[in-house]
Amino acid sequence: MFSRLPFKTQKNFVIVGFVALPLLLLLTFAYYPALELIHLSFTSWDGLSPNKPWIGWSNYKEVFANPAIFGVFKHNFAYFAVGIVQNIAAIYFAVVLNSKLKGKNFFRLLLFLPYILNGVAVAYLFGYVFDTTNGSLNYLLGQFGFDALSKTSWLGNETFVNYTLASIGFWRFMGFNMVIYLAALQSIPADIYEAASIDGANGWQKFISITLPNIYKIIELNLFLTVTGALEVFDLPYILTKGGPAGSSETFVMKIIETAFQFNNYGLASAMSVVLLLFVVIVLSIQRFLLKGKGE
Amino acid sequence: MKKVISLALASVVMLTTLAACGAGNANTNSNSASNKPSSEAATNKPENGGTEEAAKITGDVVFLTNRTDMIDKQYADYEKRFEEKYPGVDLKFEAITDYDKTLKIRIASGDFPDVVFTPTIPNAELPNYFAPLDDIAFSGDIHFKDLKAQEGKMYGVSSGGSTVGIVYNKKAFEKAGITALPKTYDEFLAASQKLKDAGIVPLASNFKDKWPLDTWVYDIPTLIGGASDHQNKRAESDTPYTLDNAYGKSWGILRELYTKGFLEADVNSTNWEQSKKDIASGKFGMYLLGNWVINQVIENGAAAEDIGFFPFPSDNSGEAKAPLNPDFFYAVNKGGNVEAGKAFVQWMIEESGYDDFAGFIPTLKAKESKLPQLAEFNSFSPKFFEPASPLDAATQIQNKAQLDQAAVVQEFVLSKDPQKVLDKVNTAWAKAKKDLGQ
Repeated sequence: MFSRLPFKTQKNFVIVGFVALPLLLLLTFAYYPALELIHLSFTSWDGLSPNKPWIGWSNYKEVFANPAIFGVFKHNFAYFAVGIVQNIAAIYFAVVLNSKLKGKNFFRLLLFLPYILNGVAVAYLFGYVFDTTNGSLNYLLGQFGFDALSKTSWLGNETFVNYTLASIGFWRFMGFNMVIYLAALQSIPADIYEAASIDGANGWQKFISITLPNIYKIIELNLFLTVTGALEVFDLPYILTKGGPAGSSETFVMKIIETAFQFNNYGLASAMSVVLLLFVVIVLSIQRFLLKGKGE
Repeated sequence: MKKVISLALASVVMLTTLAACGAGNANTNSNSASNKPSSEAATNKPENGGTEEAAKITGDVVFLTNRTDMIDKQYADYEKRFEEKYPGVDLKFEAITDYDKTLKIRIASGDFPDVVFTPTIPNAELPNYFAPLDDIAFSGDIHFKDLKAQEGKMYGVSSGGSTVGIVYNKKAFEKAGITALPKTYDEFLAASQKLKDAGIVPLASNFKDKWPLDTWVYDIPTLIGGASDHQNKRAESDTPYTLDNAYGKSWGILRELYTKGFLEADVNSTNWEQSKKDIASGKFGMYLLGNWVINQVIENGAAAEDIGFFPFPSDNSGEAKAPLNPDFFYAVNKGGNVEAGKAFVQWMIEESGYDDFAGFIPTLKAKESKLPQLAEFNSFSPKFFEPASPLDAATQIQNKAQLDQAAVVQEFVLSKDPQKVLDKVNTAWAKAKKDLGQ
């Protein structure tokens, strides 16, 4: 039936048809829930009752005024710090594995594999590694003769429990960052390096003056992923420490879930989610501002 | 380049449309599944046989359960036996994990199975969703009648009860040279010391996992205060947690056990699944948990006769005390197949044998438990405390203050200055109480 219509109408049909479906999906499953979230954040809904009392800004006041809620953000700093190290390591491995190295595909695979593993499985796996009395890490340290170190409570020490958890994230996501860097490195034309070699540049100079500027956009992307990842950490502490010891590894997302599903304060939890969203936007704007104009 | 972009676009569009198909299918499926009970209930009515009383009850009944492990095993047997008795009923089981959260969402959507376990909502809201169950004619008096009741009507029937005490490995006690079971707190400490000297971890606290600490929040304060309404009483006070009341004393016991080294070597790195094996093998000596854990320890390799159970001596009076706690409560969806739901609840309590399978104290007061460990426990003739029916006031304050009591116990035990921890909690409590205008 379409074949009789003029070409232009057919074209419009196809365009509208193809655009409408994904738009509809996007609106129902992304934008509508997001708007509803913002709506809920102004209510004191308990998650069940049909009426959702409007209470204005008081949920937001509570989020910022209560140190027990906003204060957990400092736990996320560890993930951010380790995330930076993770990116540096990823660039290093990407550069190494981009050179003429024997068995480089094997090493690439090896480093990328942890990313494929399921997050919950990884958490349980590391539960056995970091166990104080039966854990493989402490056993290894004991075998090497570090007797004092081998009794470390990796997940039970308030000062570094977040770094222990973040190191698992390092293990898991470094390969993923590396693959992205690797793709960027391969798109740099080889003749630039050749020209630099002829001019007498050494490896480090080539890295600073050619490699880095060329992958600047990608570094930005990876930092974006690291920052959002650091702000939204959830599965590792949720499974490994339950936020302990004494709440020192609780993250903001865990707090949101607790607020909604344990204490039935859905309104407050929605407000916390909106705040998290704004926080990500702010941090990213700062990052964009600082890196602006470079690598263009 | 253009080609690549259009190809990518096309594949993204295809993917999303395919996803839409998937989502659409799932939706229609669940719709038809949930619509079924009502429509079939209507069509099934005229044609059915069976006994006179049971024949009146017809239709589909769906039970939402948390026991994913029983699907296609015990439940298949239950279904067969139940449908033999009630030929007009088609019984179905639906098992989900993360029960409470999922059920609440489904209740909020207005469409949920006929028989469920009551979610954690205030009793005042029970009549909005569930049918009163007072007219079920049980063969005898039942426990926990008043706990899920509102304005004199009962909306929940407990699936069974449990008590809390010391679950211990008899072989480990033998090895440590403990001849008589401790009847006072001092004797308990002495026994723990003996276990420790024998290289056995005296008490497995499973500190890290938080939930095992609930006994220190709910049960031990009951024993210390000699009353089970301590959680409700908190609503009357601005400082519900003090060092010299039931909470401070209860948590003080755990703190003492911790400082004396009677808990796991590193309480922040405990492993629940492993601890069951260690109790079974005698590497750990005791649990302070409900009797439900006994069957699980036996499943993990202990001989049934090696596992014992006695009341926890919380003081030096020598008088045995124990709480009697309900497990999940059955409730019947008032918008569902109520008659069949009630029949199913009665059948679960009286005939299914679920209480013995789960290691519960039967809900029917006259029925004896088949668990030998409970017989041992009862030989101490403990004074049982049934829980007080909960008041919403305390729960509201607790939710408003976002107070996780098990987490407070952790902080109390680990902190250098427990008083400071209590002060912090009391401040939050008082503020929440004031905000709610109570």
